[in-house]
Amino acid sequence: MKLNGSEIIAECLIEQKVDTVFGYPGGAVLNIYDALYKYSDKITHILSSHEQGASHAADGYARVTGKCGVVIATSGPGATNLVTGLATAMMDSIPVVAITGNVSNDLLARDSFQEVDICGITMPITKHNFIVKHVRQLAPVIRKAFRIAMSGRKGPVLIDITKDVTSAVYDFEPAIPEAPVMPLESTDEEFKSAAAAIKNSKRPVIYMGGGVVSSDAEKQLLEFAEKIDCPVASSVMGLGGFPASHRLFTGTIGMHGGYETGKAIDNADLIIACGARFSDRVAGDRDKFGKSATIIQLDIDKAEINKNVQIDYALIGDLKDTLRKLTDESEAATHDAWVAQVQEWGKNSEVSQTPDSDSYAHPYHVIETVQKYMSAEDIVVTDVGQHQMWVSQKYKFENPRTWCTSGGLGTMGYGMGAAIGAKIAFPDKKVVLFSGDGSFHMNLNELATVRSYSLPIVIIVMNNTVLGMVRQWQKLFYGSRFSQTDPHRKTDFVKLAEAFGVKGMRIHNDGEAESVIKAAFECGEPVVIDCLINPDENVLPMIPPGKTVDDMITEME
Amino acid sequence: MDNKQIIALFVRNHPGVLLRVTSLISRRGFNIDSLTVSPAGVDGYSRMTIRINGDDNQVSQFINQMMKIVDVKKAQVLPENHMVASELIIIKVAKSDVDTHNEIISLTSSFHASLVNIGENTLTFRASGTPSEIDTLVDELNKYGIIEMARTGIAALESGDARLSAAPAQSNRAL
Repeated sequence: MKLNGSEIIAECLIEQKVDTVFGYPGGAVLNIYDALYKYSDKITHILSSHEQGASHAADGYARVTGKCGVVIATSGPGATNLVTGLATAMMDSIPVVAITGNVSNDLLARDSFQEVDICGITMPITKHNFIVKHVRQLAPVIRKAFRIAMSGRKGPVLIDITKDVTSAVYDFEPAIPEAPVMPLESTDEEFKSAAAAIKNSKRPVIYMGGGVVSSDAEKQLLEFAEKIDCPVASSVMGLGGFPASHRLFTGTIGMHGGYETGKAIDNADLIIACGARFSDRVAGDRDKFGKSATIIQLDIDKAEINKNVQIDYALIGDLKDTLRKLTDESEAATHDAWVAQVQEWGKNSEVSQTPDSDSYAHPYHVIETVQKYMSAEDIVVTDVGQHQMWVSQKYKFENPRTWCTSGGLGTMGYGMGAAIGAKIAFPDKKVVLFSGDGSFHMNLNELATVRSYSLPIVIIVMNNTVLGMVRQWQKLFYGSRFSQTDPHRKTDFVKLAEAFGVKGMRIHNDGEAESVIKAAFECGEPVVIDCLINPDENVLPMIPPGKTVDDMITEME
Repeated sequence: MDNKQIIALFVRNHPGVLLRVTSLISRRGFNIDSLTVSPAGVDGYSRMTIRINGDDNQVSQFINQMMKIVDVKKAQVLPENHMVASELIIIKVAKSDVDTHNEIISLTSSFHASLVNIGENTLTFRASGTPSEIDTLVDELNKYGIIEMARTGIAALESGDARLSAAPAQSNRAL
C-alpha cells in the first residue's frame, strides 16, 4: 500500500507492538505528529515538558516492561535534549529507539534553522544510529533499529529522519518483526571447566548485575545460587534480580555496599559475575578486587571480558542460557560454614546515623515506612545522590523490573521522567520516586506531565537543602570546604507542588513519616512529599574510590 | 615495549563508518599508528587495515570493541608470520655536497627506492616495502635531513588462501 513516510513510521511502530511513545512536537516532526493524530487509537503519545523528560520516560518504560521504549523529538534542540537520556540508557544497557526529525534534504548541511548533526553527536552514546534521507530506507531502518536495540547487550538506537522523507509517499509492505539475536558462543568444554572451578570452590560468591534483569534470568539465577549454595551480592543495577529476603542475599556490592559483601568478596576463592561489568563503583581498586579468587564471568558482551578485571573463565551468551547450562553442568553443593561466616560479618555492618531529632527525618526510617505500603510488585524509582544510595541499601527488592535508577551514568534529574514512564506502563502498580532536593530541581518541570495525565506517583524529596553526596566527598576528601554544595535555595516544595496542581505534603521528623506517607498513598493523586533530612546525614558505609573493604569508612563526624 | 599488530576490518561501506571506527579508537584510548581504508573487492564493503600498538589483552579488547560496531562485519589480527604487508612512501631529503648525494643514492637503491624528482636542494624518492623496511629507510634517511614525507599506510592480507570476508563471523554481535 502507498503511505507517506510518517504513516510508515506509525505502521512500523505498530508492527513492533509499540502502543506507547513519549515525545515532544516541533517543526521537523510536524508530519510525524500528524500521523500520530491519525493513529491515536493505536499509539498513545505522552507529551512531556521537555525532551529530556521524555527520553527518561522511554527508558523507565523500557526498564519496567522489558520492551523497547520509544521517544520522539524534533530536530536541533529537540534532538540535543535527548542526549542525556540516551547516554543514561547506553550506560545501563536499556533498549530505547529515539526518532528525531531533521531538516529536509535540500536544507541539510547548510546550518538551517534547528539543524544539528544528531547522528554525529550521539554516535558514542548509542548502540547504533541512522540518518534516513530516502523514504525507501525508512521501514527497513526502523525494523533494524528495534532489532539492534533488543539484541545482544541491549541499548539505545537513534533514527534521524529528514522532513521530506516524512511526507514522501512510498510502498509499504507489512512484515513480521524478526526476533532479536542472542548469540551463545561458549563451548560445552568451557562450561565444564567453569563447573569444575565451582566444584573446587570452598568460598564462592555470585556477583550479579543489571544483566540478570535485562535478560530476565532471575529464575535461572535463583536455581543456580541454590544448587551451589552460594552467597549472592548485587550491583546497584542488579537489584530485584534476586530476592532480597533470600538467605543467600548479602545486599549491594561496592562503594556503599555492606561490610559483609565487601568481606565476602575479599575472602572468596571464586567470584561468579553474572551480567555485571566490574565498574569502578563496584571494584574500587581493580587490581585488588577478588585478588585471591578465581573469576568466572557470564556476559552477553565479549568486550566486557578482561576490560577492568582479569577473568579466568568467560561464558558468553544470553544469561538465561549460560546460567541454565552452567547449572546443569554444576554439582549440587553446600557451603554452610561459609554462608554462616558471611552472615556473621553482616552483624558488624551497623553504621552510625545522626541522633533522633524533631527537625529531621532519618532516610532509612522513611524508606522502611514507604516499603510497608508497597507490594513486592510495586515500582521504586530514584534520582541520583545520597537518597539513591540509601534506597539501594535499605529497600528490599524482591522482583526484577521494580527498580529504576541511573546506575552507570548517574544522571541527576533522571527520576521524574523514569517514574512517569513506569506509571504509564503499569497504571495499577504503585510508583514511588525517591529524589533529593538537588536532583528534583533539575527536572521538576515534569510535574506538569504528572498532573496532565493524572499519574498518582508519590514523589519523596529527601530535602537536606544541600547537594549531599558531593558535600559528603568534600567533608571526607576536601577538608569540609563546601564549595557550591550548599545552595541556600528557598524553594517551598509544598507550594511548588500545589502550583502545578499536585498535592504537597511535608515530613518534619520520623514521628510524622507514617501518617504522611499513608495519606499520600491513600489519596490516589500525584503527591510531592517534602521530607526534611539532616544536611549532615551521610551515606555509610563507604569504600573510598580506588580502595578496598579494608579502607571502609563506617562513621563520620 | 613496542608490540605492533596489524588488524584487518571488513566493514559496510556506509557514510560515517570511518568516523565510527576512529571515534571508538579515540574514546577507548587505543594507540594506533596507521589506518587505511580501501574497497574490499566485494560490493558495498570496505577494508580497513589498522596497525595498533598494544599488548595481547589490548588487541583482543580492540577486536571485541570493533565487533560492537554494527557496520563492522569482521575484525581479525593478521598473524605476524603469515601475512603480506606493504606500504608506499614518498620522501624528500636534503641534498648537500656530492659525497652525501652519492651516499643517499646508494642507500636508497639498496631499498629499491626510485629517485622520482630532483629539486634545487632536495631529492625525492618513492619506495615500497614492508612497514618495517619503510621504517628503516626513514631512520636511515633521517641522518641527511628529511624535508617532508608521505606514507600511504599499510595494505596487508593474510597469506595463503584465507579470505577475511569468508572468515567465520565473530559471534559477539547481534547483527
